[in-house]
Amino acid sequence: MIVLARTALAVALVTAPLWLASSYHVHVLIMAGIFVILASSLNVLLGYTGLLSLGHAAFFGIGAYTSALLALKLEWSFWLALPAAAALAGTAGWAIGRLALKLRGAYFVLVTISFAGVIALVSTNWMELTNGPLGLPGIPAPALGPWSLRTKTAYYYLVLAAAAVAYLVCARLVRSRIGRAFLALRENEPLAESVGVDSTHYLVLATVVSAAMAGVAGSLYAHYTRFVSPEVFLFSYTVTMVIMVVAGGKGTLAGPVVGAVLFTILPEALREATSWQWQMLVYGVLLVLLVFFLPRGIVPGLQRLAPRRTP
Amino acid sequence: MSMRWLSTLLLTLAVFALVTSGSAQAPGTVKIGVIQPLSGPVAASGNYVRMGAEIARDWINARGGIEGRKIDLLIEDNKSDPKEAASAAEKLIVRDKVPVLMGAWGSSMTLAAMPKLEEYGVPMVVETSSAASVTKRGNPWVFRISPPSEMEALGLEQYVDKLAVKKADFLAVNTDWGRGSIQAFGDMLKKKGVQVGAAEFMEQAATDMNAQLTKIKQSGGDTLFLTTAVEQITLVLKQGQEQRLQRKVVTTGGSSSPTQLIKQAGPAAEGSYHIVFFMPWFPEAMPDAKLAKAFVDEWGKRGHPFEGLTEGFRGHDGIATIAEAVKLAGKDDPKAIRDALWRVNFTGVNGPIKFEKDGPAGKESGQSKPSIFIVQIRDAKVVLPEFMAKR
Amino acid sequence: MDVLLQHLINGLVLGGTYALLGIGLTLIFGLMNVVNFAHGEFYTLGAYTAFAALALAGVGFFTALGTAIVVGAALGGLCERVLLRPLRGESIDTTMLVMIGVWIAMQNAELLGWGGVAKTIPHPFPTAPLTLGPLSVAPLRVFVFVTALALIAAAHLLIQRTRLGRAMRATFQDRDTAALMGVRIGRIHTATFAFGSALAAAAGALLGPVFLVYPSMGDLASLKAFSVVILGGLGNLAGATLGGLVLGVAEELGAGYVSSGYRDAVGFVIIILVLLFRPSGLFARAERIG
Repeated sequence: MIVLARTALAVALVTAPLWLASSYHVHVLIMAGIFVILASSLNVLLGYTGLLSLGHAAFFGIGAYTSALLALKLEWSFWLALPAAAALAGTAGWAIGRLALKLRGAYFVLVTISFAGVIALVSTNWMELTNGPLGLPGIPAPALGPWSLRTKTAYYYLVLAAAAVAYLVCARLVRSRIGRAFLALRENEPLAESVGVDSTHYLVLATVVSAAMAGVAGSLYAHYTRFVSPEVFLFSYTVTMVIMVVAGGKGTLAGPVVGAVLFTILPEALREATSWQWQMLVYGVLLVLLVFFLPRGIVPGLQRLAPRRTP
Repeated sequence: MSMRWLSTLLLTLAVFALVTSGSAQAPGTVKIGVIQPLSGPVAASGNYVRMGAEIARDWINARGGIEGRKIDLLIEDNKSDPKEAASAAEKLIVRDKVPVLMGAWGSSMTLAAMPKLEEYGVPMVVETSSAASVTKRGNPWVFRISPPSEMEALGLEQYVDKLAVKKADFLAVNTDWGRGSIQAFGDMLKKKGVQVGAAEFMEQAATDMNAQLTKIKQSGGDTLFLTTAVEQITLVLKQGQEQRLQRKVVTTGGSSSPTQLIKQAGPAAEGSYHIVFFMPWFPEAMPDAKLAKAFVDEWGKRGHPFEGLTEGFRGHDGIATIAEAVKLAGKDDPKAIRDALWRVNFTGVNGPIKFEKDGPAGKESGQSKPSIFIVQIRDAKVVLPEFMAKR
Repeated sequence: MDVLLQHLINGLVLGGTYALLGIGLTLIFGLMNVVNFAHGEFYTLGAYTAFAALALAGVGFFTALGTAIVVGAALGGLCERVLLRPLRGESIDTTMLVMIGVWIAMQNAELLGWGGVAKTIPHPFPTAPLTLGPLSVAPLRVFVFVTALALIAAAHLLIQRTRLGRAMRATFQDRDTAALMGVRIGRIHTATFAFGSALAAAAGALLGPVFLVYPSMGDLASLKAFSVVILGGLGNLAGATLGGLVLGVAEELGAGYVSSGYRDAVGFVIIILVLLFRPSGLFARAERIG
């Protein structure tokens, strides 16, 4: 039964470009895929180690700009630019992790926000590097040998593959010793430390992985939209990510996926129904309601509805 | 895991919702896609453009439409976000199958949507963006009726002597528009032998510009060129007054909405000059006086705020241009409309609209040469400067 | 030299309002341990209330200020009672998420209600600046500065000299003992949040006429308030006061001598540096409260 569901899902996703009504729908799924990676990356921190980072848009943006600049200025191939973007974002994550290792809770949040704020200002003001608010247009699409991956379908499979890899990385991480260490730190740090879990080591690891993943999402975004501007650092992206993770279910693997898909498709589907302001208002209220009534998110909520053994 | 099963269900339902949520269109209409910031920080401007577009649509439809077919405006919100501008373009072109677009207000939003134009071969009329790159990127599907900053600067060139500018300082919002403006006006002034002093920036959300004004005061120029939205202009003028910054102020970009400035900045706005692309205070001075007056009257009849006119006309002219092109093309085909846009030659609210080639050879975009005006605020009223003759 | 002095004056005047924002937040964040991301929204609320009172209801300037304070307190108290009290045992992340939700909801409600176009608040002060040689400052700003200091002083007095203040300090130093001594913990929490929000609303009503009123004005205010709180040390009112002034001056000098583009970065950098090197704040003293 479970296997059947899983295969059905896999088949549906792999054949999506065939049965979806138009390339617009493929476009929406591509964006959803990018956000799946982004939400999963935030989940590593928020869901598994319990650290709330509200500066995640910074890692996303760093990934996007790095990839864009390498492709535009140094004419690197996408396949080199993407790992470089992940590496740079991961390094930034490492820096945050190491610097903030004494901080928890609210202080960590504030440092991440401040970091994101500074990076955003740098991207707007450092004209020579980032072209400031004028942005970087004309980012080349990736190419696989002689074939350009510019078409929707091709890019969809790229993003699908990346999202699948991201999911698998998270899954393996969570089920490994590292994952157990994360959980131990989240639940009771002093106790974990007393049993020999080196919190510094694991928290920094979590931040690096999380940031690198966000960087990958950034690179994919840059080469898809082919235009990057400081708006990638908009706080609304961070808020959207947080809602995706919290609504989907932090600390679960499927949670951010469900959240990302839901909150990418929903605004698109509601385009004609209501104005963006009303939607945002609802999201705000929704966040409050979720905290009260569905604190663990949709996925665990569904789990409770259909009581089976959890993984 | 049943959770996965349910998640699949959720996913499928969501996609289904997407697939089925299509807008029913009336058959036999000409569909025009409009992308504007209807929410977010510049929502007021986006809405003004929308209002202008709606006036154009209603007028054209009242006259029988385009060869008997009515215009249908499909309006999308780009949420002041380039990513959303691209999404909106995608949706309009692919799902709603519009053969032509107008948008997307801000330069970065327009630049983000431009790859989609090339991907699907659909033309777009750009009504507000001012960044040079919009028409210089070699995108043959872009047609702009608003002036890039360079053109604006050229438009002011003839008045530089009459304004008696010897040393100019700049204060601009830190966006593509502000930076482009400083570049363009700076170059133009230097060519005329004017000294350029300080060039300061302010973040879009900044409210306290005292630091920048203190530096500008120190620079000792006689004219301050100011490029930003009307709210920040208000703040700069007020703070300038508080710091006793005594010099001429010239605002550029056409978004200064002098009427709103008089209301909000009061005496601080006295004596300031403003480059605008539409003069609703004296429509008789516009190239097509009758049209301009009719537009102002209709705007007022609909209860729209007067201060929105300086931006609303862009929506009208954009739709009017598109309608002209569709008429010339004779059919709804995007490529035919694109070719027809090159043949467009008429007069909108701003003035004559005709596209010239701009950008790299072989892939030129279209750039019209809009009329540029300068007005002044004197005695809490908007007037023509003494020295100005009709362009 | 005059330029430096002018920058200093600009900075101090701005700093006074930062201090006001900071004090409200240091009570909420420092004492109640609530990461109040909606603090900036109470600031905005105060500004819109003042606008409504002045421009629409036509009341006097000081009445408008008072109204803003009352509305801020009322909504703050309501917020605490309905949203925060049920969550009191939860982790700090939970309350943080709730306040983020409140922030988004409030801001978009304001956008829907008032529209995105900025509003001007009329004020009775002359526009001609007061001058002292080459230095100038607007009378309105002087008024704002003086009023901010007055409110700060009032806050200090309330915390130090009144029974309510004593009860607050007791609650946050040792809740259980305070409860045993008869302090109504629930009421104190509500009162503290209301008080902090009222101060934010006051800051908004004061700064509204100086600048403009628009829905997103609270975003930067929130972050700068956090900056001030961290600079001054959590729960430290005197620290927050000094911190506010320091931030204002630092921003002005940074914008004046380094780069105006990075002005807002000053607040961020302060947060990062202080948290890394002196997490208890620059002005922290042994006693945590007051």
